Amino acid sequence: MRGPTAKAFKQGFLRSFLLSLKSCRTGDMSLQERKRAVRSSADAAMATARGGGAIWPRALLASSSSSPSSSSWPGLLLNAAKVKTTRCKSTARRCCRPKRSSSEMIARRLVRKRTKILRGMVPGGELLDSVSLLREAMDYVVHLRAQVAVLRRVSNAMHHMAATSYLTGLDLSRLAQGLLHRVCN
Amino acid sequence: MSGRRSRGSVSEEEINELISKLQSLLPTARRRGGSSSSSSQASTAKMLKETCSYIKTLNREVEDLSDRLTDLMATMDQNSPAAEIIRSLLR
Repeated sequence: MRGPTAKAFKQGFLRSFLLSLKSCRTGDMSLQERKRAVRSSADAAMATARGGGAIWPRALLASSSSSPSSSSWPGLLLNAAKVKTTRCKSTARRCCRPKRSSSEMIARRLVRKRTKILRGMVPGGELLDSVSLLREAMDYVVHLRAQVAVLRRVSNAMHHMAATSYLTGLDLSRLAQGLLHRVCN
Repeated sequence: MSGRRSRGSVSEEEINELISKLQSLLPTARRRGGSSSSSSQASTAKMLKETCSYIKTLNREVEDLSDRLTDLMATMDQNSPAAEIIRSLLR
């Protein structure tokens, strides 16, 4: 991700994340429920901040929402994105050259097997052809890294504030603003 | 990932370019001086494995950081000046 795009994404992510945390009524939740709420806020914020330029954000939002419409989202997705579905196995067999070294066949089988695993790891991957899957995986990895970076800075900032709570209220508010500014940049 | 697509609009060079771009994102990116066709499937298989492993690692990091944040927010629930500041920022 180039500089300005990365910064815009991180800021959008942070904003959505904090808004989502704020609206979470965690008072009555168990620790496990609270952890799940924070994680799903982070994922929803990442998907929202990414927007419509990829498939995985919608898939991620669909899988974390519990609304009935999420079960029909593959249909919506296919209509909206004109995604090619693949029949990898039959195509590969048809296109197979008659003479192929066994090591190459093993490698091809391995590639197919691992492509299938990758499909499961990228949200929305099941509906994509191999090439789109590679593009989505790249986009997903790049944004996952940004998500990790922002979450780490937020937790470091909060930890720092908790550790310096002996300061007066006025100092703390300036410290907090400064830290928040740093996290966004 | 078939090398030939009778109706495809993506060439094999584009696929190889995608693969090498993806590989450059991975933490274990290793530069090969031009992959030969005989080993291209093998290196693709390796790259796919590393990609899956990297995504798994990143998701685990997000999970750990979320847990850490949950704990920090819990300590913030007490009536400290820090807690009030954070609450006001989240408001």
